[in-house]
Amino acid sequence: MNIIDPKFGTLEAEEKAPHEDNTWVSSSCALCYGSCSIKAHRVDGVIVKIEGNPDSVVGKGRLCGKGVSGIMSHYDPNRVTKPLRRTNPEKGIGVDPKWKEVSWDEALDEIAAELVRIRAEDPRKLLLQRTTTVTASRLPFQAFAAGFGTPNHSTGGGGLHCGNGAHLISGIMHASWGVLPDFQYCNYAIYFGASKGHSAGHASTSNMGMAADARARGMKMVVVDPMCNFAAAKASEWVPIRVGTDGALALAMCNVLVNDLGVIDAPYLKAKTNGPYLTGPDKRYMRDAFTGKPLVWDERAGGARPFDESDPADMALEGTFSVDGTACRPSFDRLKEHFLQFTPEWAEEITTVPAANIRRITKEFADEARVGSTIVIDGVTVPYRPVAAIAFRGSQGHKNSVYNFLAVDLLNQMVGAADVAGSCLGFNPTCHGHPDTGQPWYEPNADPDGLMITGMWMGYHYPYPVGAPRLPQNIGLQDLFVMSMTSPFLDSTDREKLWDDMDLPYRPEMIINYGSNLLMSIANKDVVAESLKTYKMIVSFDVLLTETSEFADIVLPDCDYLQSKDSRSNFPFIFSLPAGMGEWCWPIRQPVAEPQGEQRPMAEVMLELADRVGFRADLNAGYNGAINLRPPYRLEGDKKYTYEEICDHDLKNNFGPEHGWEWFKEHGLIKWDKKPEEVYWRAFVDVRVPIYWEWMIDTHKEIAAIAEPRGLQIPEEYYDPMATWLPCLSHEEHGEGFDFYAFYYRDIIHTNSYTMENPWLDEAARLDPFSYNIAINTESGRAQGLADGDAIAVETSTGRRVEGRVKLTEAIHPEGLGIAALAGHWVDTMPIAKGKGVFFNELLELDYEHASPVNLNLDLCAKVKITRLEAAS
Amino acid sequence: MRLGMVIDLKRCIGCYGCQLSCKAENGTPPGVFFARVLKQVSGKYPTVQNTFLPVLCNHCDDPPCVEVCPTGAAFVWEEDGIVDVDHDKCVGCRTCMLACPYSQRFFNDETRPYFGEGGATPFETARASHHQTGVILKCNLCRDRVRDGGKPACVENCPTVARIFGDFDDPNSEVSHLIKERGGFPLRPEKGTKPRVYYLPA
Repeated sequence: MNIIDPKFGTLEAEEKAPHEDNTWVSSSCALCYGSCSIKAHRVDGVIVKIEGNPDSVVGKGRLCGKGVSGIMSHYDPNRVTKPLRRTNPEKGIGVDPKWKEVSWDEALDEIAAELVRIRAEDPRKLLLQRTTTVTASRLPFQAFAAGFGTPNHSTGGGGLHCGNGAHLISGIMHASWGVLPDFQYCNYAIYFGASKGHSAGHASTSNMGMAADARARGMKMVVVDPMCNFAAAKASEWVPIRVGTDGALALAMCNVLVNDLGVIDAPYLKAKTNGPYLTGPDKRYMRDAFTGKPLVWDERAGGARPFDESDPADMALEGTFSVDGTACRPSFDRLKEHFLQFTPEWAEEITTVPAANIRRITKEFADEARVGSTIVIDGVTVPYRPVAAIAFRGSQGHKNSVYNFLAVDLLNQMVGAADVAGSCLGFNPTCHGHPDTGQPWYEPNADPDGLMITGMWMGYHYPYPVGAPRLPQNIGLQDLFVMSMTSPFLDSTDREKLWDDMDLPYRPEMIINYGSNLLMSIANKDVVAESLKTYKMIVSFDVLLTETSEFADIVLPDCDYLQSKDSRSNFPFIFSLPAGMGEWCWPIRQPVAEPQGEQRPMAEVMLELADRVGFRADLNAGYNGAINLRPPYRLEGDKKYTYEEICDHDLKNNFGPEHGWEWFKEHGLIKWDKKPEEVYWRAFVDVRVPIYWEWMIDTHKEIAAIAEPRGLQIPEEYYDPMATWLPCLSHEEHGEGFDFYAFYYRDIIHTNSYTMENPWLDEAARLDPFSYNIAINTESGRAQGLADGDAIAVETSTGRRVEGRVKLTEAIHPEGLGIAALAGHWVDTMPIAKGKGVFFNELLELDYEHASPVNLNLDLCAKVKITRLEAAS
Repeated sequence: MRLGMVIDLKRCIGCYGCQLSCKAENGTPPGVFFARVLKQVSGKYPTVQNTFLPVLCNHCDDPPCVEVCPTGAAFVWEEDGIVDVDHDKCVGCRTCMLACPYSQRFFNDETRPYFGEGGATPFETARASHHQTGVILKCNLCRDRVRDGGKPACVENCPTVARIFGDFDDPNSEVSHLIKERGGFPLRPEKGTKPRVYYLPA
C-alpha cells in the first residue's frame, strides 16, 4: 500500500482565505415547472452548488439531474445581457435580425408607444405568451393581461402538448390539474401514457421518491406505453400498445369490470357521481318540473325525486322507469350498456393488447380495489381503494384526447377509487389553510345539478361548469370551443380563414413573449413562422436568443430563476405540490446572484411597462383579482408597488403580517400538516362528478349553431355524453410504406427545448442510448434494412420530414417510432443545443382537422415512412 | 471502518441525478464522470427489461489501481478505506486506468471548459480550479463532505433514495443489513478486487 501524507486532501490541509460571502440561499428551481425547493450556495458572489432544500416537501431535499445542472444554464456565456432591437425588417427562419444593442429606456419607450396605440384601438390585439417552465410567471402575465384588457394569453406548447385533456378532465373529475396514484397507500396502479414519479413536471422529484417507496412497499405498477423507458422500465408489467389507442383499451377494461366481473362501488356511484340521474330518450337528464333539479329513481319511495331530496342509498343505478309517461334510465344504466360494445377482442384489434391480458389486468384491478373497505389514517376513517388508473400526456395527446383520458378515469370511478386512501388522487384540491390564518382556503363545491366545481384553478376558465359558446372574441376561439384551454388557432394554417369565417372583430398585432420558443414548441416550424411574421411587433423576454427570438423586434435580457423573486413558486397547490399525506409547503423564489450586464427581472419590467402605458390602477386590480388580495393587503388605486412589495402583500395576505417577504427571505418557506379530511376530501365534501357528460349534447348544439352556418363542421360523435373510441387521423392512414406511428416522449434529462443548451445535460443526453436518437423496434428496423446508428429520414404523407440516427431496441412497440423531448435547435446563438437530437414537432400539422373538436388538443402522433440515408458512421 | 455504497436497482429510475450532482459537486471536466448511469435493454419484445445501472468507483478492498501505481499517488485511506489519488505524486502514466476493471479512473489531459470557446464559467473557475492537469481524477466518495459529517453528493441527492452509504465493517450498518437481506451483489466479482459498491436486485 502506498504511504499517505496524513494531511493530504483534508480540509485543514487547504489554507483557505475566509470568504466575505459564503451563503446558502433558500429558493426554487425552474429547470422544469415542478419548481422544486433548492438551496443555492454562493461564495464571493459565485454560485458554486445547488442542492435540494431538505426543509421542503417539494423535492424533499433532492433534485433531479436537471435541477442540479441549473448552474450551467445560469452561467451560459450565450445569455442575453443587453436589450436588442432588430434592424432587419425582413423576418424568416434563418434570417439574421441584425441586432442592435439599445438602452432599456429606448426599448421600453418603443414598446410602450405600441402598447398605448393598441390599448386605444383594441387591447385584444395584444397576445401575452409565456413558457410553462417558470410556473410563477403566470401571475405577472395574468395580472398584466387583465389590467391591459386582453383575453389573449397562451402558454407555449403547454396545453396542446400536455394538458388540454389531462387538465380539463382532472379538473372535472378530481378538481385538480392532474392525477396520480396515492403512492402512500396504492397497491395497484395502471399508467396510461404517463410517467408520474419517473420524469419531469408536477412535483416530479417528490414523486420520484414517493413512487420508489411505493414500489419498494410492493405496489404493482402496470404501464401502458408504446415504449419501455422511464415508468415502463420500472413497471411490474409493461403493456405495449399501438400509439394513441389507450382509450380503446380503457373502455374494454370498463366493460370487463362492469359487465363481466360486475365489480362496482354502488354506494360511491350513487352518492358521488351522476350515475343515478335519470336520462330520457333524448339522453338528457329528466328534471323536476318545479325545481329544475335532475331526477333520480328513489327505490324506497318507488318514484322519481330531485337528486338532493333522496337518500343516495335509495337511488337506483339500473333499470327502466317511467316518469310522467316518459321512459327513462339512470345514466349508469346507459353507460353499462354502452360499455358492452367494447369487448376485449374488439380492443385487441385496435390496441394490439391481447384480449386475455385485458381480462387479466382488469381482474387484478378489480380484486385490488377492495370495494367497501375503509382504513383509519391519523384517527380518521376514510374509504380505502388501493387502485389507481392514471393518464397524462401520452394517452391524451391525440385528437381523441377527451375520451382517451375520460375512459381511463372511468375505471377509477366505477370502483370508487377517486380521492380516497390508496386511489387515484387529484393533487391537493382541498386546502383548509395554515392553522394561524385559515389561508389559503379552497375546496370543491357543487353547481345546481350537484356536480363538482373545482375550488382552485390555474387560468383560462374553470373546467366545469362549461360556459355558453359565443361567436369568438378570442383569437384562440376558446370562447366558441368552451372546453378548450390552449388553442392551436394562434398559429394554425387555417387561423385567418377561421377568424374571417367567425367574424373575429380584430386581428392580433403584438406579442409579449416570456421565454417560450413557439417556433419549436407547437408544431412544424413553417406554419408558426408564417403566423409570427404577421405581427407588427414581437417583444421577447429571453435568457438566450432562441429560434423564436429571431422573429422578435425587441429582445429584453431576462433574469433567470437564480436572479428573480416570486412569492408563490409552488402555488396553486393543485399544480406541483406532492399529493397524499404529509405537509403543505409554500416556498418562495429569491435572487441568489446579481443580474449579468443589463438583465432585469420580467415581473419588474412588466410593472414599469404598465406605468409607461398608464394603467397601473388596472394592473393593481388585475393583481388583486389574480391572487385574491383582501384588505388590508389589496393593492390600492394606482399606487406604484415594486414586485417585491406585491410579493410581500401576497404572503401577508395568506400568512399574516409577521410572515411577509422579509420573513420568507430568511426562512425560504412555510409549512404545516395536512389533514386526512383534506387529502381524502372526496368522502367529506358533498359533490358529485359526471360519469355521464350530459351537457355535451347541448354544448355541441350551441357550438354547431354558431360554427356550422359559417362553414365549420363540429362532428357530433365527439360530443356524446359517454366516452367512446375515436381513432386518430394516423390510424386511418394506410399509404404504402407508411408503417410507423411517430410519437415523442418526455426525456428525463430535458425540459421542453430550454435544457438542450445546458452542456451537462447535453453531455448526459449524448451518452444516453435514446435521448438524441430515433427508437425503432429491432425486428421492424431490420425488416427495413436498418442497423443501429444508421441515418434515416422520417416523412409524413404531407411531406414533413426530419432526419436522425436510429437506435434499434426491443423496448418499443413494432409499429412505434419514438423521439425524445423537444430537440433539434438550429440557431447559432444556442451552440450547445444546435443540431442535437430530432425535432419531432416538425412532423405535426397544425389546423382544425388535426385538433380535437372538443378541447382543441393537437394530435401528437403522425403516420410516417422511413428512408435510410447512410450507414452508421 | 470501510466506507462503501449500496445501490438499490429497484428504486433507481435512471434520472441522472447522481451523475449530475456529482458533476456539480466536483466540477469535473467534460467526459469525466465519477458517477454515471448506464442503460441496458435485455430480453426480446414484448418481454424486455430496461435496466438502469448507476456506476462509480468501487473502492475495492484489493484495488489493482493502487497496486500498479508506480509513484504512490494511488492510495487507500487507512481510516475509511476510500481509494484516492494524491495529485502531487501522480505523473499521469495512466497505468491505473488500464488496471481498473471498472473504468472508473479518468485522465485530465487539459483544462477544458464546458462552453469551449465561451471560456470557463465562474462556476468552473471557482469549483474546478483545483483540478490539476496531467493527472488522474476519480471518485473519493466526496471525502470532504463525509469528514464534515455528510454523505457523498450522489447519495444525499438521489431523488429515489436508491443510494445508501455506510460502513461495510459494521455488521449492523444499513449497508450490511441490506446486502444480507436483499441479496446484494457487486459487479465483476470474478476480478477479485473485493468491490465495496453493492447492488440490490431490481
